[in-house]
Amino acid sequence: MVKFGIEFVPKEPFWKITYYAVQAERGGFSNLWITDHFNNRNVYVALTAAAIYTNKITLGPGVTNPYMVSPVFTAQAVATLNELAPARVVLGIGAGDKTTLASVGVEMRKPLTAVKEAVNIIRKMTSGENVVFEGGVFQIAGAKFFFKPRGRIPIYIGAQGPKMLALAGKIGDGVLINACHPKDIEYAVNCVKEGIYEVGKQFSELDVAAYTSFSVHEDLRKAKKAAVPVVAFIVAGSPSQVLERHEIDLKKAEEIREALKASDWGRAFGAVSPEMIGAFSVCGTPEMCVERINQLLKSGISQFVVGSPIGPKVRAAISLIREKIIPSFST
Amino acid sequence: MDYPKLVELIPREKRRNTADKLVDIILSSKNDNKMPSDLAKIILYQWQQNLLTSELGLSALLKVAVLLEQEKTLTVLGELQLYEIADKIEGEV
Repeated sequence: MVKFGIEFVPKEPFWKITYYAVQAERGGFSNLWITDHFNNRNVYVALTAAAIYTNKITLGPGVTNPYMVSPVFTAQAVATLNELAPARVVLGIGAGDKTTLASVGVEMRKPLTAVKEAVNIIRKMTSGENVVFEGGVFQIAGAKFFFKPRGRIPIYIGAQGPKMLALAGKIGDGVLINACHPKDIEYAVNCVKEGIYEVGKQFSELDVAAYTSFSVHEDLRKAKKAAVPVVAFIVAGSPSQVLERHEIDLKKAEEIREALKASDWGRAFGAVSPEMIGAFSVCGTPEMCVERINQLLKSGISQFVVGSPIGPKVRAAISLIREKIIPSFST
Repeated sequence: MDYPKLVELIPREKRRNTADKLVDIILSSKNDNKMPSDLAKIILYQWQQNLLTSELGLSALLKVAVLLEQEKTLTVLGELQLYEIADKIEGEV
């Protein structure tokens, strides 16, 4: 049975996210993911508040990166969170976003190596080991917690490219695939499988999540309107081969890119086409969303993550998902 | 303003709907920075315990809704025909 996860961005204050987290837990969501960007509120503070007011939902950063945050600090943060919410903590980690990292002067060096080494370091630290590490990106002369970490924390790799997806298959407990379209998910899952089989694991050992941009409303126009800004940013950040795969006009994409750069929101959002919405979001009425999720399930995903914007109004969207979407997958 | 006293004026059958509409106002507000942390924690605790329609829950919701979105709150109170409460709030500010 597919699990449902939900993503929140701590651009919102802790109390809004926590309110929604409690609502999501009651509504049948099993995972709560909170994004980690330096320009939003701190992910671990948001997770702590959510952990205090919830009882069973699994939670973690979705996703952090090893460049902005040292793997040692990440290990410390999740190990501490795991004391507050035992056996409910997971960690999502990826290479991060090149543009965001560059804006604070951080170079994204050897992303595959960085993620692989970070996972290694975090696993050792959260197992209570004294870590001495000489890697291609990270060097640790000797680091050990002065406290005893509680239990193993599953690590999910946030991945998009084929090599990172394969790495996720090899070393992850789960993978967070940033995609919405069945074609993209199918491609990504095949890449993950290559990694899994290379190390002799079973596909069922991995929690494979489609981490989607999602928007639901009974009125299709309203659902689409909410999805447009997010889709505009996704289109602007997508490489041309991805756009071509979805037969998206490259000139249109460039127009959106330029308009966003100039903060001309009207022009940027106005250039978003229905094809773009279809390619880069799961968007529509509850029935349409159920249909799309069913298509994604055929690729073998085990978790469906409802990501930003969720809907025109988050509270109403969570209620709609609880009432009309999750029940379609509960048997 | 004595919010617990105001809440006593809300008929039982209107409490759920009132709480629901106040939550909507609070969650949709752009005035996040006006939310007092102590009231946020009270609301979250009451929400966690499913007690937002209790007097304590409704008092906190009403107080925060007025702090964050006074005009919208007065409009909603009017829609709910809670005129006496709306008048008292309006008279106080």
